[in-house]
This record gives sequence, C-alpha cells and structure tokens, in this order.
Amino acid sequence: MQNLDVISVNLWQILISLGNLCILFFIMKRFLYKPVRNILAKRQSELEEHYTAAEKAEADAFADRAVWEEKLAGADAEADAIIKKASDNASFRGEQIVANAKEQAESILRVAKTEAELERKKAVEGIKREIVEVSGALTEKMLEREIKTEDHRALIDSFIEDIGDGND
Amino acid sequence: MNTKSRLFKAVDVLYICMMVVPLICGIVLKVLTKPQTEGISITGAQIYFTIPMPIQDLPVTESQVNSLIVMIMLLGLCLFLTHGLKTRNISVRQHLAEWIVEKVDGLIKDSMGEYFMSFSAFIAAVLALSGFSSLLSLFGLYPPTSDINIVGGWAILVFVLITYYKMKCGPLQYVKSFGDPVPLLAPLNIISEVATPLSMAFRHYGNVLSGSVISVLIGTALQGLSRTVLGWLPGFLGDIPLLQLGLPAILSVYFDVFSGLLQAYIFAMLTMMYVSGGFPMELYFERKAKKAAMTAKN
Repeated sequence: MQNLDVISVNLWQILISLGNLCILFFIMKRFLYKPVRNILAKRQSELEEHYTAAEKAEADAFADRAVWEEKLAGADAEADAIIKKASDNASFRGEQIVANAKEQAESILRVAKTEAELERKKAVEGIKREIVEVSGALTEKMLEREIKTEDHRALIDSFIEDIGDGND
Repeated sequence: MNTKSRLFKAVDVLYICMMVVPLICGIVLKVLTKPQTEGISITGAQIYFTIPMPIQDLPVTESQVNSLIVMIMLLGLCLFLTHGLKTRNISVRQHLAEWIVEKVDGLIKDSMGEYFMSFSAFIAAVLALSGFSSLLSLFGLYPPTSDINIVGGWAILVFVLITYYKMKCGPLQYVKSFGDPVPLLAPLNIISEVATPLSMAFRHYGNVLSGSVISVLIGTALQGLSRTVLGWLPGFLGDIPLLQLGLPAILSVYFDVFSGLLQAYIFAMLTMMYVSGGFPMELYFERKAKKAAMTAKN
C-alpha cells in the first residue's frame, strides 16, 4: 500500500477537512452548547423564581409579625383597661360601702342622742315634780299651816324654773 | 421508573460505544494495513484508495479516516455529556459539560469580547478537533494534525472568517485597511494577510509532525543501540530492544500529549486574536448607529 509524501497538498482533502470543521462546529453547537445553555437558562429562571418566592414569603412573614405585634400591643392595652376598670369598680364599691356604714353609724348615733335627750328631759321633769311635792310637803310641815296649794305651787314653779334655767 | 432508568442506561451505553468503537475500528484497520518496514521511514499518511475527481484525484488516507473517527467520538462525547441534563442534583458529566461551556465562554470573553460570544462553539470545535486528533497518536494511530491538508483546511476556514469580519464595514473599507498606516506598506500588508493562514497551518502541522519524526528517530536509534550493546545475550534475548523502554514513553508524553494540546490551544488563541483583531468594531458600531439614525429619519 502506498503512502503520501510528507508534504503533499491536495485540494479535495483541504476542502473535506474544512467541511469537517464546519460539521463539528454544528455538532458542538447543536449537541453541546444548545442543551447546556438551555439548562443554564432554565436553572437561572428557576433560581429567580425561588428568590422571588422567598422574598415574598419573607415580606409576608414581616407583615404577619407587624400584625401580631400590633395585636399584642392591643391586648396589653385591653388588659390594662380591664384591670383599671376592675380596680375602679372595686374602689367605688368600697367607698360606697364605707359611706353606707358611716351613714348608718350616724343615724344610730342620732337616734341614741335623741333618746338620751328625751330620757334626760323626762328625768328633769320627774325630778322637778318630786322637788315640788317634797318642798310643798316640807313647807306644809314647817309652817304647819294650811296654805293655799295653788299659790305655793305657782311660787315654787317659778323658782324652780329659775334654777332649771340656770342649770341648763 | 425502573424501565426509564434502564432505557437511560442503554442510551448511555450506546453513546459510550459511539466513543469507543470507532477508536477500536481505527486501531484494527491500522494493524491490518500497516506494512512491515525495517529502518527509518518518514512518510505521510497511508493511502487506502483513490477516488478519481476533477482537477486532482482524491486519495482517501489515514488522516481522512482518523478525522472521521475523531468526529464520531466527539459527537458521542457531546451526546453523552448532555444526556439527562437537570437543574438540580446535577451529575458529574453535567458538571463537566457546564465546565467546558463556561471555560470556553470565559476564554472568548477575555480575548474577543462580548460581541463574539457566538464564536464559543466554533472555538470549542477547533480545540476539540485539534486536541483529540493529536491525542490519537497515543493509540498508535496516525494523527490527522500532522497532515498539512487537514490543518490547511482549518486555516483556510479561519482566513475566511477573518476576511468576513474585516469586510463587515464594506469592501471599500477592507481595501482601504491595506493602506494602513502608509499606502506604501500595502504589499507588505497583503503578504502578511496571506501569510496568516499559511503560518497557522504550518505551525500546527510542523509541530505535530516533528514530534512524530523525533519519536521515530529516537526509537530507531535506541533499537540500534540496544542491538549493539545487548546483542551478546543468548538466543532471542538479544533481539529484544530493551533500551526502547522508558525514554520513548517520556517523549511521547511531551510530543503527543503536551505538544498536541498546546498546539490546539495556540491555534484556537490565534483564531480568536486574528478574528477579533481584524474586526474594526468601533467603526462598525458607528456605521450601524448612523444607519439606524437614517432609517429612523425616513
């Protein structure tokens, strides 16, 4: 079998090799670059999708947190209001009870005072009468004469009245 | 699910066969057709048969067949790498595929600019075809890159691309660019224009061919040395070229692997340099903007 010379230029061989390189270029483009570029683009878009989803989720979470914080703060205020209301109620009722008690005590005291006054007046009246009787009897005995009871009585009454006024 | 994964594996095996079978066929063909030679013989590719064509007959040679083998292997590799692409939990081969694409893209971006991003596949093709063709010599096959016709074809394609991008601003601008910076230098410019593809082709072809030539020379020399030094050994022991162990392997690492890949890289880099360097980008965009303004006015 024959061999080529070391340097032998052949037009057709050159053209074939040129064509081979062109064919290999298309093979590379079609079977390596196209699928790889497609998959890279796909991954990129998927990544972006994931990023947007993650960002959205984050924003949602932040919004939720704000809402809950607001609610929490509201709950605090509500609790404060409830406590305040309860304590107000309690103090109001306490005051009421105290006032009632005072009033009752005062009325009891008043009743007692009026009763004591009445008793005293009664006692004064009784003492007055006894003094009149005793002094009437005494003067009867001392003078040993019958005096006109009506005159005496008037006299003594005025006298005692003077004494009583002075005592009061 | 099970049948699906089984189908997936079957397709994988098919793709791997696409990569391996052509190589084995090539080796078998080489073993069957290689004539027994004694001593040094530095020749071009072996001619299997010749097809009569107008102008010049077309000899179908080892380099043609091996180019075809490389292309089928690369097609299988591409299909294998991009088989079963996913967006998550990606496999090792997908990593490799993405790595290749991103590396070549980065290379383009660095040395050509964003405008030439569509060149990425072409540069990848150049790198792969040139690199794998040179690496074929690892399997004892004739590397197609040591045939001037093969590399010449690529260089002519690159020349066409360079000229196409230089012509983008119109043929007048192209002709004018030869009189740059002084019209007196026009002949030199024309010579350098023609020299570009020639130098690219000869650089690549010469490097790979010289590697094989040196390998053959050293191999033959070691055989002779072995015969004279170890010839006194009794029987068939004297016939074994023991000294051929070792040194050719190291040389093969340099000439076949390193030099081959380096030449592929240089060829790709030069392609990028010449194409992006020859393209008057600023002028082109200026004209484009002017044209757009004109059409807007009308």
